[in-house]
Amino acid sequence: SKREIKMRKLDSTKVRPLKSEQLLRIEDHDFALRPGFGGSPIPVGIDVQVESIDSISEVDMDFTMTLYLRHYWKDERLSFRSNKNKSMTFDGRLIKKIWVPDVFFVHSKRSFIHDTTVENVMLRVYPDGNVLFSLRITVSAMCFMDFSRFPLDTQNCSLELESYAYNEDDLMLYWKHGNKSLSTDEHISLSQFFIEEFSASSGLAFYSSTGWYNRLFINFALRRHIFFFVLQSYFPAMLMVMLSWVSFWIDRRAVPARVSLGITTVLTMSTIMTGVSASMPQVSYIKAVDVYLWISFLFVFLSVIEYAAVNYLTTIEERKQLKKRGKASGMYSIDAVQAMAFDGCFHDTDVDMDLTGFSDRCEENETRAGAASGSNVDTPRLKRKRSLKGNVGRIILQNNHVIDTYSRIIFPSVYIVFNFFYWGLYI
Amino acid sequence: SHIYKNHDMTKTLRGKTEQLLRVDDHDFTMRPAFGGPAIPVGVDVQVESLDSISEVDMDFTMTLYLRHYWRDERLSFPSTTNKSMTFDGRLVKKIWVPDVFFVHSKRSFIHDTTTDNIMLRVFPDGHVLYSMRITVTAMCNMDFSRFPLDSQTCSLELESYAYTDEDLMLYWKNGNESLKTDEKISLSQFLIQKFHTTSRLAFYSSTGWYNRLYINFTLRRHIFFFLLQTYFPATLMVMLSWVSFWIDRRAVPARVSLGITTVLTMSTIITGVNASMPRVSYIKAVDIYLWVSFVFVFLSVLEYAAVNYLTTVQERKERKLRERFPCTCGISHSKTMMLDGNYSESDANSLAGYPRNQMVPEEEKQEKMVVHLAMSNESNSSRKRGLKGHVGLRIIQNTHAIDKYSRLIFPGTYIFFNLIYWSVFS
Repeated sequence: SKREIKMRKLDSTKVRPLKSEQLLRIEDHDFALRPGFGGSPIPVGIDVQVESIDSISEVDMDFTMTLYLRHYWKDERLSFRSNKNKSMTFDGRLIKKIWVPDVFFVHSKRSFIHDTTVENVMLRVYPDGNVLFSLRITVSAMCFMDFSRFPLDTQNCSLELESYAYNEDDLMLYWKHGNKSLSTDEHISLSQFFIEEFSASSGLAFYSSTGWYNRLFINFALRRHIFFFVLQSYFPAMLMVMLSWVSFWIDRRAVPARVSLGITTVLTMSTIMTGVSASMPQVSYIKAVDVYLWISFLFVFLSVIEYAAVNYLTTIEERKQLKKRGKASGMYSIDAVQAMAFDGCFHDTDVDMDLTGFSDRCEENETRAGAASGSNVDTPRLKRKRSLKGNVGRIILQNNHVIDTYSRIIFPSVYIVFNFFYWGLYI
Repeated sequence: SHIYKNHDMTKTLRGKTEQLLRVDDHDFTMRPAFGGPAIPVGVDVQVESLDSISEVDMDFTMTLYLRHYWRDERLSFPSTTNKSMTFDGRLVKKIWVPDVFFVHSKRSFIHDTTTDNIMLRVFPDGHVLYSMRITVTAMCNMDFSRFPLDSQTCSLELESYAYTDEDLMLYWKNGNESLKTDEKISLSQFLIQKFHTTSRLAFYSSTGWYNRLYINFTLRRHIFFFLLQTYFPATLMVMLSWVSFWIDRRAVPARVSLGITTVLTMSTIITGVNASMPRVSYIKAVDIYLWVSFVFVFLSVLEYAAVNYLTTVQERKERKLRERFPCTCGISHSKTMMLDGNYSESDANSLAGYPRNQMVPEEEKQEKMVVHLAMSNESNSSRKRGLKGHVGLRIIQNTHAIDKYSRLIFPGTYIFFNLIYWSVFS
């Protein structure tokens, strides 16, 4: 009952102002208007501490950063009497009642102020009216990336702050401590990039509809670590090219072996190339890693073509030799190998042999064969044919064997030269 | 009706809680003991679950009950039973609560089904217990140099956003026992080794010193999945490549395709591992194993290329040697080889798919043998035979020896590598 009497005495229609409001005299002013309204622009200092760079996405061409954003300005309407000159700290609920700068991130895709357990916002008011307003924000912003030197590239990205409503006649945005306004947590690091430098800069931005605005830039350069791509793409590609050279050392009569070796290395190169472009945006120019992989693919492809050429030329010469031998001695029906064995001349199906031995042998055996057949009429023709066949055979066998011999040297050396050029150019 | 007319309709009847707690009498935007000493706020955490650990994003997600304990005299109320009053989330907006946030968190939220999962309990003397249920995703720097035989240490950090240590002192309410975990907390891929708490001061150049509380835990990865997925297939591929040394060296396509297919499979395994990993700039333990296995498989292909090449070279030399002496023409080349005891390339051709030589009937064989022996009665025949025999023996010895040695060297070296690897990393 005593309480009821007390309550009746007070006028319940009068809403008693809260102590902070009493202290700061919030109801006395209209905080929808900026400080110094109608007068000179209010200077707002900005200070940023970058907590982390969460991710860089090549496919979306953006980056995600978490930062503490601090604003410093002076609002005389918030000054209060104090003998200790100590500031008063408030949490987020006072923000709605006073004026704060409306800074936004230009070119941001998504952003939010963290709100666990309460809104991560701090307001600190000094007796003379200076205000410190701090927020913790995660923002995803666009970064235009150039992949022509990927993965040996360096990307420059920047986060831009600007006031949304107030142009430079009303609000002057500036870095509070110049270049030292930007600080980073000591353990800020990315797995794939090396953060080269953080720098702060400012500029003016012009909008035709609304005028000139102060814009602040947080610039940073990211250099990509090459190691992962060396292990994932370059090294396998190099090994595949080297595997394809193994084919030149294998006997050219082993047709299925050489063909399957060549075609399987082509398949593996193709798989490596697909794997690299899976995590990349579909750009319209060629990237450095594409250059390397496509040239390696070309080498592997050429080794298959080389063996096709070797095999084709071998077949042609076999056919020619068969035809010639068939006309001369009329031994169509005899198996080529047997005929050769009978002649003593080595057939192309046999191992390549020393060429001097070849011609001597052939002549020897031809003589014997001629004696065996007992035909002396054919001797001069045989002799002429023999020398011709010997010479032609020598040239052909020389060529085929030579293609392989030259390839064993040419392919590796051209590939090594290419590597010198590539790494010298891009690093 | 009489009663209603007497009351003033413009008077808003205050809610009973507000009457009880006299919320409107005070300005709760200011902390308790504003302008005075720092208010101590005790924190108590019960971890409900560790939802996920992501290597690619290098973060972890945790769900926990976060409880704050402090004393606000403005909330004290007279009570005879000394019993506390429990409120839900709607009162939180009207009073002062500590503004604790999670440093290095990426995303977090207070669960709000069916209503905000918030509890407020006020005791008659002004003590407050404020509890909420939160899921937070926070950063954790992971070191993968020993992946997948690694242990990661992660921590969740709590701090007040606005109040420095002069205004708010954050501390663990029961020291090290402030951190409790549900008994069934477990992860599929990790073994949670321990949870413990620490506290420190953190300095911000612009704003001062803050109390920071840490929830630390260590996770040890279970190796079994990677054994089954990566190590075992790689080992099997290496062993498959050794099969090639036991196959006849004349079977060219067989040995080549065996070698090249094991290389292809190793390449696929390597690509598969890196798909779910972040792109780090150092080599991981699993990379070491896979690349060394890849090198073994690659070397088996090179070994057969060497065997094949040397066989070819020796056959050519041997034929050159044979030409200097009376030729053994008239004899089927393959038979010559068989008589010599050397392998002939026509046999090799047949294995490679070339048409086989027609089989020479037995009586011809006898003839040829006679011929051969007859011809070998010449003066230099013995020297030739000896030389040829030696050359032939040497050839077989050379190439056959590479295979024979490889059958021992490759497995021996691989087993040795495995012993070193597992003892270093386990």
